Amino acid sequence: MTDKKDNRPSEYHVASLVAYCILAQVDEVKAAITAVEGAEIHAVSDEGKIVLTVEGTGFKNLDKKIDIIRVHTGIINLSPVYHQVLDEEQEKKLAESDKADALSYQIK
Amino acid sequence: MTINRREFIKANAIAAAAAVAGVSVPAIASNLITSSDITKLKWDKAPCRFCGTGCSVNVGVMDGKVVATHGDIKSPVNKGLNCVKGYFLSKIMYGKDRLTTPLLRMTNGKYDKEGEFAPVSWDQAFDVMAEKAKETLKKDGPTAVGMFGSGQWTVQEGYAAVKLMKAGFRSNNIDPNARHCMASAVGGFMRTFGIDEPMGCYDDLEAADAFVLWGSNMAEMHPILWTRLTDRRLSSPHVKVAVLSTFEHRSFDLADNGMIFTPQTDLAILNYIAHYIISTGRVNKDFVSKHTNFRLGETDIGYGLRPEHPLEQAAKNNGKTAGSSTPIDFEEYAKFVSTYTVEYTSKLSGVPEHKLEALAELYADPKIKVTSFWTMGFNQHTRGVWANNLVYNIHLLTGKISTPGNSPFSLTGQPSACGTAREVGTFSHRLPADMVVANPKHRAIAEKIWDLPEGTIPPKPGYHAVLQNRMLKDGKLNFYWVQCNNNMQAAANINEEAYPGYRNPKNFIVVSDPYPTVTAQAADLILPTAMWVEKEGVYGNAERRTQSWYQMVEAPTGAKSDLWQLVEFSKRFAIEDVWPEELIAKKPEVRGKTLYDVLYKDSSVGKFSLDEVPEDRLNDDARDFGFYIQKGLFEEYATFGRGHAHDLAPYDRYHKERGLRWPVVNGKETKWRFKEGSDPYVKAGSGWDFYGHKDGRARIFALPYEPPAESPDEEYDLWLSTGRVLEHWHSGSMTQRVPELYKAMPDALVYMHPDDAKSRNMRRGDLVKLISRRGEVQTRVETRGRNKPPIGLVYMPWFDASRLVNKVTLDATDPLSKQTDFKKCAIKIVKV
Repeated sequence: MTDKKDNRPSEYHVASLVAYCILAQVDEVKAAITAVEGAEIHAVSDEGKIVLTVEGTGFKNLDKKIDIIRVHTGIINLSPVYHQVLDEEQEKKLAESDKADALSYQIK
Repeated sequence: MTINRREFIKANAIAAAAAVAGVSVPAIASNLITSSDITKLKWDKAPCRFCGTGCSVNVGVMDGKVVATHGDIKSPVNKGLNCVKGYFLSKIMYGKDRLTTPLLRMTNGKYDKEGEFAPVSWDQAFDVMAEKAKETLKKDGPTAVGMFGSGQWTVQEGYAAVKLMKAGFRSNNIDPNARHCMASAVGGFMRTFGIDEPMGCYDDLEAADAFVLWGSNMAEMHPILWTRLTDRRLSSPHVKVAVLSTFEHRSFDLADNGMIFTPQTDLAILNYIAHYIISTGRVNKDFVSKHTNFRLGETDIGYGLRPEHPLEQAAKNNGKTAGSSTPIDFEEYAKFVSTYTVEYTSKLSGVPEHKLEALAELYADPKIKVTSFWTMGFNQHTRGVWANNLVYNIHLLTGKISTPGNSPFSLTGQPSACGTAREVGTFSHRLPADMVVANPKHRAIAEKIWDLPEGTIPPKPGYHAVLQNRMLKDGKLNFYWVQCNNNMQAAANINEEAYPGYRNPKNFIVVSDPYPTVTAQAADLILPTAMWVEKEGVYGNAERRTQSWYQMVEAPTGAKSDLWQLVEFSKRFAIEDVWPEELIAKKPEVRGKTLYDVLYKDSSVGKFSLDEVPEDRLNDDARDFGFYIQKGLFEEYATFGRGHAHDLAPYDRYHKERGLRWPVVNGKETKWRFKEGSDPYVKAGSGWDFYGHKDGRARIFALPYEPPAESPDEEYDLWLSTGRVLEHWHSGSMTQRVPELYKAMPDALVYMHPDDAKSRNMRRGDLVKLISRRGEVQTRVETRGRNKPPIGLVYMPWFDASRLVNKVTLDATDPLSKQTDFKKCAIKIVKV
C-alpha cells in the first residue's frame, strides 16, 4: 500500500515555469529567482514573461523553492509548465538504453 | 551519462516553457530534443483531474508509472500552461495511503457496524453489499436505496450509475456532489433560458473589454483562466477588471474596481445595475423586445431547512410554488427595480456609491463588451438561482450575450460537473440532456432508448444531497453508496446530519475512494478505487468541451474503477430481485436475466466489440467485461442529446481532438450558442434565438433582495464564509496526499481582520474555537496573508480533514436548487 520511494534522496526533479511579472519589477523578480538555489532563468520576453527552471531532490524540496518565487509581489502569476521526476533506477535503465541507441546509430 | 540525462530532461522542460511563453531559447535545447531520447517516455493527453477549467495535460509514462506532466501546447484551453495543482498531477496517484483492498467493518470475521475495518476480497465485499441492498429493497422498497455521486465521475461512470439507480433499482435517490457546487447555476439556466450551461466559451477571455467577478476568486480557483484574463488585461490597457467579494482575496491584485459587500447584498447590487441601465436610457430596446419577456417571481420562499425550523414556519411560499412566476411588462419591471437606488444599495451593501456606479457603467455602456464570471459566491447562496437569474437580467437588458466577449459565464469547480453531473443528469430529478423524471414524455424517451418497459423509471424526484443526509439520519435511506467524493467533509452541518446518518444502525454505507478519506472512515464498507489515467474516460468542462482520455497506467493491484464497480455489482441482481412482476410482465424476455444483462451487456451499451479497443492500449474495464464498454455507454448516452441541441461527436473522434464544444453539428463545434451564425440551432433570420423556451425568448425576472437565513447578532457576532485555496483542491483528499501541497498550506486557518483579533484579545497564531449554534471547530488565527476579510467577517477554507469547518456551517439551502449556502452563517470566536 505504501510507496517507499517518496523520500528517496536519489530523485532528480526538474520543473519549468513561466512567471508573468509587473514590467517595472522584472529586474527585482530576476534577482529573486536567481537567489534561489537550483533556479535558473532561460529567457525574458519584452512583455515581462520569464522562462525559468527549478531543479531539486524531491517534490518537497522543489515546491519550497517554487513557493519562495511565487509569493514575490512583482509576480502576478506563476504558471508551472513541465515537471519530470527521475529516480536512480530509471536513470540507470535509461543510461543502458542510451548505450544501445548509440550502438544502433553507429551501425546505421 | 547521468549528467547528460538530466540536462536532456531540463532542456525538454525549458523548451516546453519557452513555447508557452512565446520566447526563443538557446539552440542547444532544441538540438537535444530531436534526439531519440524523447521516445523513452510514452506521452499521451488527458484532461486534468482537478477543477472545471478542463486543461489538457500531456502525461509521460515510464515503466508503468506517470513520471512527467506538462501543459498541453495543443490545448485551446490552457495553451501549454499548467497550474500548481495540475503540475503535481503525477503525484496524486502515488500517495502513501492508497487503498488496494476492500475494507469491511467486522467483528470475529463477520460484518458488524460497530466493528473495525478489516481487508476482504471483492467477492466478499459484493456479497455483503448485495445482501444489504436486497434486504433493503425487500423491506422498504426502492426509496430506501440511494447513491451519492460526483462531478469527478467520468461521463460513462455517471451514465452507468444513473441507469443502475433509475432503471435498475428504480430509485431516483441519486445525486452528485455537484449539488453543492452548481445546482443554482443549473436552476438559473433552466429558468432564464430553458436549457442548461453557458452560451459563451473561453474565447470570450480574449474578446472582452471588461471582466466582472461575482463571488469568484479565479486567481486561486481557476488559475489558468486567470492567466488568460491577466494576459488580456496587461496586453490591452483599456480592459477593466471589477471584483466583488465578501472579503479581499488574490483576485483583487488585478482589480481596477474591487468591492467588498455585506453577505447576501449581491442581490441588491444586481438589481441596482438593472435600475441604472434603465434610468440612464441604455436598455437595448430592439433586443429586449424581440428576444425576452418579463416575469415576476415568487418571493418569501424560505431557506430549505427542515420543515419544523422557525424560518420555514415563517416563510409564506416555501412549498411547491416557490419557483413560480407571473408575466409582467417592461414598465412593471422597471418600477420593481427602481427601489434599488445607488443610495439604498450602497447603504445596504457597504460598497461606496462611486464604485457601484463604475461597475454599473461597465454593463450599461454599449461600447464595452463585458464578461461576468461567477462560481460559489453566487451558487452557494440561499437565493442562488435568483442571483443567477439577476445577472442574466443585466446581460439581457443590454443585449450583451452570446457574442464574443459578451458573456455571462458560470464557472464550475469539478472536472466533469458539466459533462457528467449536468449533461448526463445524475441528479435526483434529472435524466440525460436536460430531461426530468417528473415529465412523463421524458421518462418515455429514456425508457425507449434504454429498451425498458413503460413505467420502469419512477416519476417522483428522489432525495437530493442535503435531503439524503437527513433521510439517512431519519432512517429512511438505508442502503447508500458514495462514489468519488468526500461528503462527510464537504456537506454542511455534518455534526447534526451527516455523521449521525452514516452511523445510524439501520443503514449500510459503502464508500468508494482511492484514499481513506473522512467519508470512507465513516462508512461500513470501503472500496478501493482506480483514478484518472488508470482508466479510460470522458470529462466535460465549463465551456461545454467534451474531452476523452485513454488508460495509461495500471491501477494498483486491487483498486478498480468506479465504472467497473457499478457494472460488476449489477451482476449480483436478477431482474426478479429488483422489479415487480407487473413490470417484468410487460417485457417477459428479461426474465431470468441479471441487471448487468439488461442494462449493459445486452443493451446498446454492449454492441462495440473489443476489436475497437486499440491493441496497444490498456483498457482493463473493457477487457474484463469483454466489450468496449466506455464507447458503448458514451454512444448510448449521446443518443439522448443528438438532434436536441446537445449533440456530441462520435466517440472515437474525441480521442483525436483536444475536446469539442457541444452542440457538435456536422462535425463542427459551437462556440457561442443562441446566436445566428455561430449556433446551428438558431432559426435563420432571427438574430438570436433562445430556443430552450418554446417562444424562443429568454426570461428577465423581477426578484428582490431577501435577507440571509442567519446573520450575526449579539452572541454570534461574526459572519463565517468558507471556501477553497489554490494549493488544495476541494476537500484535499488528493492534494493533501501530496506532501508539497500539504506543506505549502498545512492547516486550514481562520483568516480575520487584525482589529477583530485585537478586540477579542487574540493574536496571530492563537488557538481559537469557532462556535456556531450547531457545533464548534478549533483552529489558529491568521491576520495576515492573502485572504483579507473586512471587520465582522472571517474566512476559513474547508480542505482540512482535521479541522472540519462544516461542523459549524448551517445547512440552509436554496429552496429552488437545493444547494447549500456555505458562504454565510453566524459564529463567535473564543480563545482556547
